Amino acid sequence: MVEVQGVGKRYGHVEALRNVHLTAEKGRVLGLLGQNGAGKTTLLNIITGCLAPSSGRVLINGQDPLLNPSAAKRVLGYMPEHPPLYDEMTVEEFLHFASELKQVRRAEIPAHIAGIMQSTGLTEMRTRMLSHLSKGYRQRVSMAQALCGDPEVLVLDEPTSGLDPKQITEIRALIRSLSKGRTILFSSHILPEVRQLCDRVVILHRGEVKLDADLSAIGGSSATVHCRIQGDLKKLSAALRHMDGLNDLQIMPSSEPGEVALSLTFGKTALPEKQVFTLCSALGAPILRMTRHEDDLEQIFLQAIAE
Amino acid sequence: MKTVFKREFLSYFHTPVGYVFIGVFSALSGVIFYLNNMTTLSGELLIFLSQLTLLVMLLSPLLTMRLLCDDQQKHTDKLLLSSPVPLPSVVLGKFLAAAAVMMIAITLTNVCTFILMLYGKVFAGEWFVGYLGFSLQALSFLALDFFLSSFAFSQASAALLAFAGNLVLWMMDLIADAIPVTFLAQSLRFISLYDRYEPFVLGQLSFASLTFFLTFITLFVLATMRLLDARRFSRGGEA
Repeated sequence: MVEVQGVGKRYGHVEALRNVHLTAEKGRVLGLLGQNGAGKTTLLNIITGCLAPSSGRVLINGQDPLLNPSAAKRVLGYMPEHPPLYDEMTVEEFLHFASELKQVRRAEIPAHIAGIMQSTGLTEMRTRMLSHLSKGYRQRVSMAQALCGDPEVLVLDEPTSGLDPKQITEIRALIRSLSKGRTILFSSHILPEVRQLCDRVVILHRGEVKLDADLSAIGGSSATVHCRIQGDLKKLSAALRHMDGLNDLQIMPSSEPGEVALSLTFGKTALPEKQVFTLCSALGAPILRMTRHEDDLEQIFLQAIAE
Repeated sequence: MKTVFKREFLSYFHTPVGYVFIGVFSALSGVIFYLNNMTTLSGELLIFLSQLTLLVMLLSPLLTMRLLCDDQQKHTDKLLLSSPVPLPSVVLGKFLAAAAVMMIAITLTNVCTFILMLYGKVFAGEWFVGYLGFSLQALSFLALDFFLSSFAFSQASAALLAFAGNLVLWMMDLIADAIPVTFLAQSLRFISLYDRYEPFVLGQLSFASLTFFLTFITLFVLATMRLLDARRFSRGGEA
Protein backbone atom coordinates (compact mmCIF):
# COMPACT_ATOMS: atom_id res chain seq x y z
CA MET A 1 0.00 0.00 0.00
CA VAL A 2 1.21 3.50 -0.86
CA GLU A 3 0.10 6.52 1.16
CA VAL A 4 0.90 10.04 0.03
CA GLN A 5 0.19 12.45 2.88
CA GLY A 6 0.10 16.17 2.13
CA VAL A 7 3.10 16.08 -0.20
CA GLY A 8 4.35 19.37 -1.61
CA LYS A 9 7.40 20.13 -3.74
CA ARG A 10 8.90 23.52 -4.48
CA TYR A 11 11.72 24.38 -6.88
CA GLY A 12 12.58 27.92 -5.84
CA HIS A 13 9.46 29.94 -6.58
CA VAL A 14 7.82 27.18 -8.60
CA GLU A 15 5.38 24.99 -6.71
CA ALA A 16 5.43 21.68 -8.60
CA LEU A 17 3.17 19.84 -6.12
CA ARG A 18 0.74 21.24 -3.58
CA ASN A 19 -0.67 19.26 -0.65
CA VAL A 20 -1.14 15.99 -2.54
CA HIS A 21 -3.00 13.22 -0.71
CA LEU A 22 -3.67 9.83 -2.22
CA THR A 23 -3.77 6.17 -1.27
CA ALA A 24 -3.03 3.22 -3.55
CA GLU A 25 -4.30 -0.04 -2.12
CA LYS A 26 -3.01 -3.57 -2.58
CA GLY A 27 -4.45 -5.48 -5.52
CA ARG A 28 -5.61 -2.31 -7.25
CA VAL A 29 -4.27 -0.21 -10.09
CA LEU A 30 -4.20 3.53 -9.53
CA GLY A 31 -3.90 5.72 -12.60
CA LEU A 32 -2.31 9.12 -12.30
CA LEU A 33 -3.74 11.28 -15.02
CA GLY A 34 -2.60 14.73 -16.01
CA GLN A 35 -1.35 16.91 -18.80
CA ASN A 36 2.37 17.24 -19.51
CA GLY A 37 3.83 19.32 -16.68
CA ALA A 38 1.04 18.48 -14.23
CA GLY A 39 3.51 17.05 -11.68
CA LYS A 40 3.06 13.32 -12.34
CA THR A 41 6.74 12.46 -12.72
CA THR A 42 7.72 14.63 -9.75
CA LEU A 43 5.15 12.82 -7.60
CA LEU A 44 6.35 9.38 -8.75
CA ASN A 45 9.98 10.39 -8.11
CA ILE A 46 9.01 11.41 -4.58
CA ILE A 47 7.11 8.16 -3.99
CA THR A 48 10.14 6.13 -5.08
CA GLY A 49 12.59 8.15 -2.97
CA CYS A 50 14.46 9.66 -5.94
CA LEU A 51 13.35 13.11 -4.81
CA ALA A 52 12.58 14.40 -1.34
CA PRO A 53 9.31 16.27 -0.77
CA SER A 54 9.40 19.87 0.48
CA SER A 55 6.49 19.04 2.78
CA GLY A 56 4.40 16.01 3.73
CA ARG A 57 5.50 12.39 3.54
CA VAL A 58 5.11 9.14 1.66
CA LEU A 59 4.60 5.73 3.25
CA ILE A 60 5.21 2.49 1.40
CA ASN A 61 3.75 -0.38 3.39
CA GLY A 62 4.02 1.93 6.41
CA GLN A 63 7.70 2.84 5.79
CA ASP A 64 8.98 6.27 4.78
CA PRO A 65 11.48 5.95 1.89
CA LEU A 66 13.51 8.88 3.26
CA LEU A 67 13.67 7.73 6.89
CA ASN A 68 13.82 4.00 6.31
CA PRO A 69 14.97 3.61 2.70
CA SER A 70 16.01 -0.04 2.81
CA ALA A 71 12.70 -1.33 4.16
CA ALA A 72 10.57 0.93 1.96
CA LYS A 73 12.48 0.36 -1.27
CA ARG A 74 12.81 -3.40 -0.86
CA VAL A 75 9.14 -3.77 -1.83
CA LEU A 76 9.29 -1.18 -4.61
CA GLY A 77 9.80 -1.50 -8.36
CA TYR A 78 10.12 1.67 -10.42
CA MET A 79 9.93 2.04 -14.16
CA PRO A 80 10.87 5.65 -14.91
CA GLU A 81 9.67 7.49 -18.01
CA HIS A 82 13.12 7.19 -19.63
CA PRO A 83 14.52 3.63 -19.46
CA PRO A 84 17.40 3.63 -16.93
CA LEU A 85 19.78 1.36 -18.84
CA TYR A 86 23.53 0.84 -18.94
CA ASP A 87 24.15 0.53 -22.68
CA GLU A 88 27.36 -1.46 -22.36
CA MET A 89 25.60 -4.36 -20.60
CA THR A 90 23.60 -7.24 -22.08
CA VAL A 91 19.95 -7.74 -21.09
CA GLU A 92 20.86 -10.64 -18.83
CA GLU A 93 23.78 -8.81 -17.16
CA PHE A 94 21.61 -5.76 -16.54
CA LEU A 95 18.78 -7.78 -14.98
CA HIS A 96 21.34 -9.65 -12.88
CA PHE A 97 22.64 -6.28 -11.64
CA ALA A 98 19.10 -5.01 -10.97
CA SER A 99 18.32 -8.22 -9.01
CA GLU A 100 21.45 -7.76 -6.91
CA LEU A 101 20.42 -4.17 -6.21
CA LYS A 102 17.03 -5.47 -5.07
CA GLN A 103 18.85 -7.90 -2.79
CA VAL A 104 17.59 -11.10 -4.41
CA ARG A 105 19.57 -14.08 -3.10
CA ARG A 106 22.52 -14.83 -5.36
CA ALA A 107 21.55 -18.49 -5.87
CA GLU A 108 18.01 -17.52 -6.88
CA ILE A 109 18.96 -14.83 -9.39
CA PRO A 110 19.30 -16.99 -12.57
CA ALA A 111 15.84 -18.55 -12.14
CA HIS A 112 14.39 -15.21 -11.04
CA ILE A 113 15.56 -13.29 -14.11
CA ALA A 114 14.65 -16.19 -16.43
CA GLY A 115 11.04 -15.89 -15.20
CA ILE A 116 11.05 -12.11 -15.67
CA MET A 117 12.51 -12.37 -19.17
CA GLN A 118 9.84 -14.94 -20.01
CA SER A 119 6.98 -12.70 -18.83
CA THR A 120 8.34 -9.59 -20.55
CA GLY A 121 9.23 -11.38 -23.81
CA LEU A 122 12.97 -10.79 -23.50
CA THR A 123 14.26 -14.38 -23.45
CA GLU A 124 15.45 -14.25 -27.07
CA MET A 125 17.19 -10.93 -26.47
CA ARG A 126 19.05 -11.97 -23.30
CA THR A 127 22.52 -11.84 -24.83
CA ARG A 128 21.94 -8.61 -26.76
CA MET A 129 23.70 -5.41 -25.72
CA LEU A 130 21.22 -2.84 -24.42
CA SER A 131 22.60 -0.25 -26.85
CA HIS A 132 21.52 -2.48 -29.74
CA LEU A 133 17.88 -2.76 -28.67
CA SER A 134 14.92 -0.97 -30.28
CA LYS A 135 12.89 1.51 -28.25
CA GLY A 136 10.17 -1.07 -27.60
CA TYR A 137 12.64 -3.60 -26.22
CA ARG A 138 14.40 -0.95 -24.12
CA GLN A 139 11.00 -0.16 -22.61
CA ARG A 140 10.49 -3.87 -21.88
CA VAL A 141 13.90 -4.12 -20.20
CA SER A 142 12.95 -1.10 -18.11
CA MET A 143 9.75 -2.90 -17.11
CA ALA A 144 11.75 -6.08 -16.42
CA GLN A 145 14.16 -4.29 -14.06
CA ALA A 146 11.16 -2.91 -12.16
CA LEU A 147 9.98 -6.50 -11.65
CA CYS A 148 13.30 -7.67 -10.20
CA GLY A 149 12.92 -8.64 -6.56
CA ASP A 150 9.21 -9.39 -7.13
CA PRO A 151 8.09 -6.04 -5.64
CA GLU A 152 4.72 -5.60 -3.97
CA VAL A 153 4.48 -2.02 -5.20
CA LEU A 154 5.03 -1.15 -8.85
CA VAL A 155 5.39 2.45 -9.96
CA LEU A 156 5.24 2.91 -13.73
CA ASP A 157 5.78 6.29 -15.35
CA GLU A 158 4.08 6.40 -18.76
CA PRO A 159 4.96 2.76 -19.50
CA THR A 160 3.55 2.76 -23.04
CA SER A 161 4.98 6.06 -24.21
CA GLY A 162 6.68 5.83 -27.61
CA LEU A 163 5.65 2.23 -28.29
CA ASP A 164 3.92 0.93 -31.41
CA PRO A 165 0.30 -0.32 -31.13
CA LYS A 166 1.32 -3.99 -30.82
CA GLN A 167 3.81 -3.24 -28.07
CA ILE A 168 1.26 -1.06 -26.28
CA THR A 169 -1.22 -3.96 -26.25
CA GLU A 170 1.45 -6.32 -24.89
CA ILE A 171 2.58 -3.95 -22.14
CA ARG A 172 -1.02 -3.28 -21.11
CA ALA A 173 -1.69 -7.02 -20.94
CA LEU A 174 1.42 -7.43 -18.80
CA ILE A 175 0.34 -4.65 -16.41
CA ARG A 176 -3.08 -6.28 -16.09
CA SER A 177 -1.51 -9.65 -15.28
CA LEU A 178 0.81 -8.05 -12.72
CA SER A 179 -1.95 -6.27 -10.84
CA LYS A 180 -3.00 -9.38 -8.89
CA GLY A 181 -1.72 -9.07 -5.33
CA ARG A 182 0.28 -5.92 -6.07
CA THR A 183 -0.19 -2.22 -5.71
CA ILE A 184 0.31 -0.55 -9.06
CA LEU A 185 0.60 3.16 -9.60
CA PHE A 186 0.96 4.33 -13.14
CA SER A 187 0.95 7.69 -14.83
CA SER A 188 -0.44 8.40 -18.23
CA HIS A 189 -2.08 11.07 -20.31
CA ILE A 190 -3.88 8.52 -22.45
CA LEU A 191 -7.47 8.36 -21.22
CA PRO A 192 -8.53 5.02 -22.81
CA GLU A 193 -5.45 3.41 -21.27
CA VAL A 194 -6.42 4.59 -17.81
CA ARG A 195 -10.01 3.42 -18.34
CA GLN A 196 -8.77 0.03 -19.54
CA LEU A 197 -6.25 -0.65 -16.78
CA CYS A 198 -7.17 1.24 -13.65
CA ASP A 199 -9.52 0.69 -10.74
CA ARG A 200 -9.00 4.17 -9.43
CA VAL A 201 -8.01 7.45 -11.05
CA VAL A 202 -6.33 10.55 -9.66
CA ILE A 203 -6.34 13.63 -11.86
CA LEU A 204 -3.43 15.94 -11.22
CA HIS A 205 -3.38 19.48 -12.58
CA ARG A 206 -0.72 22.10 -11.92
CA GLY A 207 0.50 20.10 -8.95
CA GLU A 208 -2.88 19.69 -7.29
CA VAL A 209 -5.21 16.70 -7.04
CA LYS A 210 -8.37 17.67 -8.89
CA LEU A 211 -10.12 14.31 -8.67
CA ASP A 212 -9.57 11.08 -6.77
CA ALA A 213 -12.28 8.52 -7.48
CA ASP A 214 -13.02 4.91 -8.32
CA LEU A 215 -13.54 4.44 -12.04
CA SER A 216 -16.66 2.38 -11.33
CA ALA A 217 -18.15 5.37 -9.53
CA ILE A 218 -17.60 7.76 -12.41
CA GLY A 219 -18.34 5.26 -15.20
CA GLY A 220 -21.72 5.10 -16.98
CA SER A 221 -22.92 8.56 -16.01
CA SER A 222 -23.22 9.55 -19.65
CA ALA A 223 -22.73 8.14 -23.13
CA THR A 224 -22.54 9.71 -26.56
CA VAL A 225 -24.03 8.01 -29.61
CA HIS A 226 -22.81 9.11 -33.03
CA CYS A 227 -25.10 8.09 -35.90
CA ARG A 228 -25.55 8.58 -39.63
CA ILE A 229 -29.17 8.28 -40.72
CA GLN A 230 -30.80 8.54 -44.14
CA GLY A 231 -33.76 10.94 -44.01
CA ASP A 232 -34.98 14.46 -43.52
CA LEU A 233 -32.98 16.49 -40.98
CA LYS A 234 -35.87 18.56 -39.64
CA LYS A 235 -38.18 15.57 -39.16
CA LEU A 236 -35.49 13.44 -37.56
CA SER A 237 -34.12 16.05 -35.16
CA ALA A 238 -37.64 17.02 -34.05
CA ALA A 239 -38.45 13.39 -33.23
CA LEU A 240 -35.09 12.52 -31.61
CA ARG A 241 -35.15 15.56 -29.31
CA HIS A 242 -37.95 13.95 -27.29
CA MET A 243 -36.06 10.77 -26.40
CA ASP A 244 -35.76 9.79 -22.73
CA GLY A 245 -32.55 10.93 -21.01
CA LEU A 246 -31.23 12.95 -23.96
CA ASN A 247 -28.97 15.74 -22.70
CA ASP A 248 -27.66 17.12 -25.95
CA LEU A 249 -28.24 16.75 -29.67
CA GLN A 250 -25.70 18.12 -32.12
CA ILE A 251 -25.98 18.14 -35.88
CA MET A 252 -22.65 17.21 -37.45
CA PRO A 253 -21.56 18.02 -41.01
CA SER A 254 -22.46 15.26 -43.47
CA SER A 255 -20.69 14.65 -46.76
CA GLU A 256 -23.48 12.69 -48.49
CA PRO A 257 -26.73 14.37 -49.67
CA GLY A 258 -29.82 13.00 -47.95
CA GLU A 259 -27.80 11.80 -44.96
CA VAL A 260 -27.92 13.24 -41.47
CA ALA A 261 -25.04 12.96 -39.01
CA LEU A 262 -25.97 13.42 -35.36
CA SER A 263 -24.22 13.32 -32.02
CA LEU A 264 -26.56 12.42 -29.15
CA THR A 265 -25.45 12.67 -25.54
CA PHE A 266 -27.49 10.72 -23.01
CA GLY A 267 -27.55 10.78 -19.24
CA LYS A 268 -27.95 7.61 -17.14
CA THR A 269 -30.22 5.86 -19.61
CA ALA A 270 -30.17 2.20 -20.32
CA LEU A 271 -29.55 1.33 -23.97
CA PRO A 272 -29.83 4.69 -25.77
CA GLU A 273 -29.12 2.83 -29.06
CA LYS A 274 -32.38 0.92 -28.64
CA GLN A 275 -34.37 4.18 -28.43
CA VAL A 276 -32.66 5.62 -31.52
CA PHE A 277 -33.21 2.42 -33.48
CA THR A 278 -36.92 2.13 -32.54
CA LEU A 279 -37.58 5.78 -33.38
CA CYS A 280 -35.77 5.71 -36.72
CA SER A 281 -37.51 2.49 -37.61
CA ALA A 282 -40.91 4.07 -36.91
CA LEU A 283 -39.95 7.06 -39.10
CA GLY A 284 -38.74 4.78 -41.90
CA ALA A 285 -35.26 6.34 -41.75
CA PRO A 286 -32.51 3.70 -42.16
CA ILE A 287 -29.53 3.94 -39.79
CA LEU A 288 -26.31 3.69 -41.83
CA ARG A 289 -23.92 3.74 -38.93
CA MET A 290 -24.15 3.99 -35.14
CA THR A 291 -21.28 4.08 -32.58
CA ARG A 292 -21.29 4.63 -28.83
CA HIS A 293 -18.57 6.53 -26.94
CA GLU A 294 -18.17 6.21 -23.19
CA ASP A 295 -16.49 9.55 -22.79
CA ASP A 296 -17.22 10.34 -19.14
CA LEU A 297 -13.55 10.25 -18.22
CA GLU A 298 -12.66 12.62 -21.01
CA GLN A 299 -15.38 15.03 -19.93
CA ILE A 300 -14.44 14.69 -16.26
CA PHE A 301 -10.77 15.21 -17.09
CA LEU A 302 -11.47 18.31 -19.18
CA GLN A 303 -13.79 19.63 -16.49
CA ALA A 304 -11.20 19.00 -13.76
CA ILE A 305 -8.38 20.78 -15.55
CA ALA A 306 -10.61 23.64 -16.70
CA GLU A 307 -11.56 24.62 -13.16
CA MET B 1 28.14 -1.45 -2.16
CA LYS B 2 29.72 -4.57 -3.60
CA THR B 3 27.11 -4.70 -6.38
CA VAL B 4 27.75 -1.08 -7.42
CA PHE B 5 31.52 -1.53 -7.12
CA LYS B 6 31.47 -4.61 -9.33
CA ARG B 7 29.34 -2.97 -12.01
CA GLU B 8 31.38 0.23 -12.11
CA PHE B 9 34.69 -1.62 -12.09
CA LEU B 10 33.63 -3.92 -14.96
CA SER B 11 32.20 -0.98 -16.89
CA TYR B 12 35.72 0.48 -17.14
CA PHE B 13 36.64 -2.63 -19.12
CA HIS B 14 33.36 -2.91 -21.06
CA THR B 15 34.30 0.49 -22.49
CA PRO B 16 37.76 1.64 -23.64
CA VAL B 17 38.21 3.97 -20.60
CA GLY B 18 39.92 1.41 -18.35
CA TYR B 19 42.26 0.16 -21.09
CA VAL B 20 43.13 3.69 -22.24
CA PHE B 21 43.85 4.83 -18.67
CA ILE B 22 46.03 1.85 -17.77
CA GLY B 23 47.71 1.80 -21.20
CA VAL B 24 48.56 5.49 -21.30
CA PHE B 25 49.60 5.52 -17.63
CA SER B 26 51.92 2.53 -18.14
CA ALA B 27 53.38 3.85 -21.38
CA LEU B 28 54.09 7.32 -19.99
CA SER B 29 55.46 5.96 -16.72
CA GLY B 30 57.82 3.84 -18.87
CA VAL B 31 58.97 6.97 -20.68
CA ILE B 32 59.51 8.77 -17.36
CA PHE B 33 61.43 5.77 -16.02
CA TYR B 34 63.62 5.71 -19.12
CA LEU B 35 64.40 9.44 -18.91
CA ASN B 36 64.69 9.59 -15.11
CA ASN B 37 66.52 6.35 -14.33
CA MET B 38 67.85 4.56 -17.38
CA THR B 39 69.53 7.44 -19.20
CA THR B 40 71.08 8.69 -15.95
CA LEU B 41 71.75 5.20 -14.58
CA SER B 42 69.93 6.21 -11.40
CA GLY B 43 68.53 3.66 -8.96
CA GLU B 44 66.22 6.17 -7.23
CA LEU B 45 62.79 4.59 -6.94
CA LEU B 46 61.29 7.35 -4.80
CA ILE B 47 62.26 10.14 -7.21
CA PHE B 48 60.81 8.12 -10.09
CA LEU B 49 57.50 7.72 -8.20
CA SER B 50 57.34 11.43 -7.40
CA GLN B 51 57.68 12.20 -11.14
CA LEU B 52 54.53 10.14 -11.75
CA THR B 53 52.39 12.66 -9.83
CA LEU B 54 52.08 14.64 -13.06
CA LEU B 55 50.57 11.59 -14.78
CA VAL B 56 48.04 11.10 -11.99
CA MET B 57 47.08 14.76 -12.19
CA LEU B 58 46.57 14.59 -15.95
CA LEU B 59 44.87 11.22 -16.17
CA SER B 60 42.74 10.80 -13.04
CA PRO B 61 39.89 12.94 -14.51
CA LEU B 62 39.51 10.14 -17.10
CA LEU B 63 38.42 7.79 -14.32
CA THR B 64 35.99 10.10 -12.57
CA MET B 65 34.43 12.01 -15.47
CA ARG B 66 31.70 9.45 -16.19
CA LEU B 67 31.08 8.06 -12.73
CA LEU B 68 28.29 10.46 -11.77
CA CYS B 69 27.40 12.33 -15.01
CA ASP B 70 26.60 9.10 -16.82
CA ASP B 71 23.88 8.30 -14.29
CA GLN B 72 22.17 11.61 -14.88
CA GLN B 73 22.44 11.37 -18.65
CA LYS B 74 21.25 7.76 -18.86
CA HIS B 75 18.67 8.21 -16.06
CA THR B 76 20.26 5.29 -14.20
CA ASP B 77 20.34 7.49 -11.08
CA LYS B 78 16.63 6.64 -10.76
CA LEU B 79 17.49 2.93 -10.76
CA LEU B 80 20.08 3.41 -8.01
CA LEU B 81 18.08 5.88 -5.91
CA SER B 82 14.92 3.75 -5.96
CA SER B 83 16.85 0.61 -4.94
CA PRO B 84 17.28 -0.52 -1.32
CA VAL B 85 21.04 0.16 -1.53
CA PRO B 86 21.74 3.28 0.59
CA LEU B 87 23.17 6.33 -1.20
CA PRO B 88 26.48 6.26 0.78
CA SER B 89 27.05 2.69 -0.42
CA VAL B 90 26.37 3.72 -4.03
CA VAL B 91 28.86 6.61 -3.79
CA LEU B 92 31.48 4.50 -2.01
CA GLY B 93 31.08 1.66 -4.54
CA LYS B 94 31.69 4.09 -7.40
CA PHE B 95 34.74 5.70 -5.77
CA LEU B 96 36.29 2.34 -4.89
CA ALA B 97 35.84 1.15 -8.49
CA ALA B 98 37.81 4.15 -9.79
CA ALA B 99 40.37 3.65 -6.99
CA ALA B 100 40.78 -0.01 -7.98
CA VAL B 101 41.58 0.91 -11.61
CA MET B 102 44.04 3.54 -10.37
CA MET B 103 45.69 0.94 -8.12
CA ILE B 104 46.03 -1.50 -11.05
CA ALA B 105 47.87 1.20 -13.01
CA ILE B 106 50.09 1.98 -10.01
CA THR B 107 50.80 -1.71 -9.40
CA LEU B 108 51.93 -2.13 -13.02
CA THR B 109 54.67 0.47 -12.47
CA ASN B 110 56.37 -2.21 -10.39
CA VAL B 111 57.81 -3.45 -13.68
CA CYS B 112 60.17 -0.49 -13.26
CA THR B 113 60.90 -1.57 -9.65
CA PHE B 114 61.75 -5.03 -10.98
CA ILE B 115 64.20 -3.55 -13.52
CA LEU B 116 65.82 -1.51 -10.73
CA MET B 117 66.12 -4.69 -8.66
CA LEU B 118 67.83 -6.45 -11.57
CA TYR B 119 70.57 -3.86 -11.86
CA GLY B 120 70.71 -2.43 -8.34
CA LYS B 121 69.14 -2.67 -4.93
CA VAL B 122 65.66 -1.64 -3.83
CA PHE B 123 65.04 -1.78 -0.08
CA ALA B 124 61.70 -3.19 1.04
CA GLY B 125 61.11 -0.23 3.38
CA GLU B 126 61.87 2.26 0.64
CA TRP B 127 59.52 0.44 -1.74
CA PHE B 128 56.74 0.29 0.90
CA VAL B 129 56.99 3.96 1.91
CA GLY B 130 57.31 5.13 -1.70
CA TYR B 131 54.30 3.24 -2.96
CA LEU B 132 52.21 4.00 0.15
CA GLY B 133 52.80 7.76 -0.21
CA PHE B 134 52.32 7.77 -3.97
CA SER B 135 49.11 5.69 -3.79
CA LEU B 136 47.64 7.93 -1.10
CA GLN B 137 48.48 11.03 -3.11
CA ALA B 138 46.91 9.50 -6.25
CA LEU B 139 43.76 8.54 -4.35
CA SER B 140 43.56 12.07 -2.94
CA PHE B 141 43.56 13.52 -6.45
CA LEU B 142 40.93 10.94 -7.38
CA ALA B 143 38.72 11.85 -4.39
CA LEU B 144 38.92 15.54 -5.30
CA ASP B 145 38.09 14.79 -8.96
CA PHE B 146 35.19 12.58 -7.89
CA PHE B 147 33.77 15.37 -5.76
CA LEU B 148 34.22 18.00 -8.48
CA SER B 149 32.60 15.77 -11.11
CA SER B 150 29.40 15.75 -9.03
CA PHE B 151 28.93 19.42 -10.00
CA ALA B 152 29.09 18.69 -13.73
CA PHE B 153 26.30 17.58 -16.05
CA SER B 154 28.44 16.25 -18.89
CA GLN B 155 31.57 14.12 -19.07
CA ALA B 156 33.56 16.86 -20.78
CA SER B 157 32.74 19.46 -18.12
CA ALA B 158 33.44 16.91 -15.37
CA ALA B 159 36.89 16.18 -16.83
CA LEU B 160 37.65 19.88 -17.27
CA LEU B 161 36.55 20.73 -13.75
CA ALA B 162 38.60 17.87 -12.29
CA PHE B 163 41.67 18.85 -14.26
CA ALA B 164 41.35 22.48 -13.12
CA GLY B 165 40.99 21.27 -9.52
CA ASN B 166 44.12 19.13 -9.84
CA LEU B 167 46.05 22.03 -11.33
CA VAL B 168 45.06 24.36 -8.48
CA LEU B 169 46.06 21.74 -5.93
CA TRP B 170 49.35 21.14 -7.73
CA MET B 171 50.12 24.86 -7.85
CA MET B 172 49.12 25.43 -4.24
CA ASP B 173 52.75 26.07 -3.23
CA LEU B 174 53.27 28.63 -5.97
CA ILE B 175 50.00 30.35 -5.02
CA ALA B 176 51.05 30.33 -1.34
CA ASP B 177 54.43 31.84 -2.21
CA ALA B 178 52.71 34.68 -4.05
CA ILE B 179 50.43 35.54 -1.13
CA PRO B 180 51.90 38.13 1.25
CA VAL B 181 49.50 37.32 4.13
CA THR B 182 51.38 34.77 6.26
CA PHE B 183 48.34 33.09 7.78
CA LEU B 184 46.71 32.57 4.38
CA ALA B 185 49.94 31.32 2.82
CA GLN B 186 50.41 28.85 5.68
CA SER B 187 46.84 27.62 5.34
CA LEU B 188 47.31 27.00 1.62
CA ARG B 189 50.56 25.15 2.26
CA PHE B 190 48.74 23.02 4.82
CA ILE B 191 46.43 21.60 2.14
CA SER B 192 49.20 21.26 -0.47
CA LEU B 193 49.36 17.62 -1.59
CA TYR B 194 52.86 18.30 -2.91
CA ASP B 195 54.14 19.38 0.53
CA ARG B 196 52.41 16.47 2.24
CA TYR B 197 54.02 14.02 -0.18
CA GLU B 198 57.54 15.39 0.44
CA PRO B 199 58.38 13.13 3.45
CA PHE B 200 57.54 9.99 1.42
CA VAL B 201 59.93 11.12 -1.35
CA LEU B 202 62.62 11.35 1.32
CA GLY B 203 61.77 7.82 2.46
CA GLN B 204 60.13 8.89 5.72
CA LEU B 205 56.90 7.30 6.89
CA SER B 206 55.17 10.46 8.09
CA PHE B 207 52.09 9.77 10.18
CA ALA B 208 51.04 13.40 9.90
CA SER B 209 51.01 13.13 6.09
CA LEU B 210 49.40 9.70 6.27
CA THR B 211 46.60 11.08 8.45
CA PHE B 212 46.25 14.11 6.18
CA PHE B 213 45.86 12.01 3.02
CA LEU B 214 43.36 9.64 4.64
CA THR B 215 41.35 12.57 6.01
CA PHE B 216 41.47 14.34 2.65
CA ILE B 217 40.12 11.26 0.83
CA THR B 218 37.43 10.60 3.45
CA LEU B 219 36.27 14.22 3.50
CA PHE B 220 35.85 14.50 -0.27
CA VAL B 221 34.03 11.16 -0.54
CA LEU B 222 31.72 12.19 2.33
CA ALA B 223 31.18 15.59 0.70
CA THR B 224 30.16 13.84 -2.54
CA MET B 225 27.65 11.72 -0.61
CA ARG B 226 26.26 14.81 1.09
CA LEU B 227 26.02 16.75 -2.15
CA LEU B 228 24.15 13.99 -3.98
CA ASP B 229 21.80 13.54 -1.03
CA ALA B 230 21.14 17.29 -0.88
CA ARG B 231 20.38 17.31 -4.61
CA ARG B 232 17.34 15.10 -3.95
CA PHE B 233 15.91 17.98 -1.94
CA SER B 234 16.74 20.76 -4.37
CA ARG B 235 16.83 19.20 -7.81
CA GLY B 236 14.19 20.03 -10.42
CA GLY B 237 12.59 17.03 -12.08
CA GLU B 238 10.56 16.54 -15.18
CA ALA B 239 6.96 17.23 -14.29
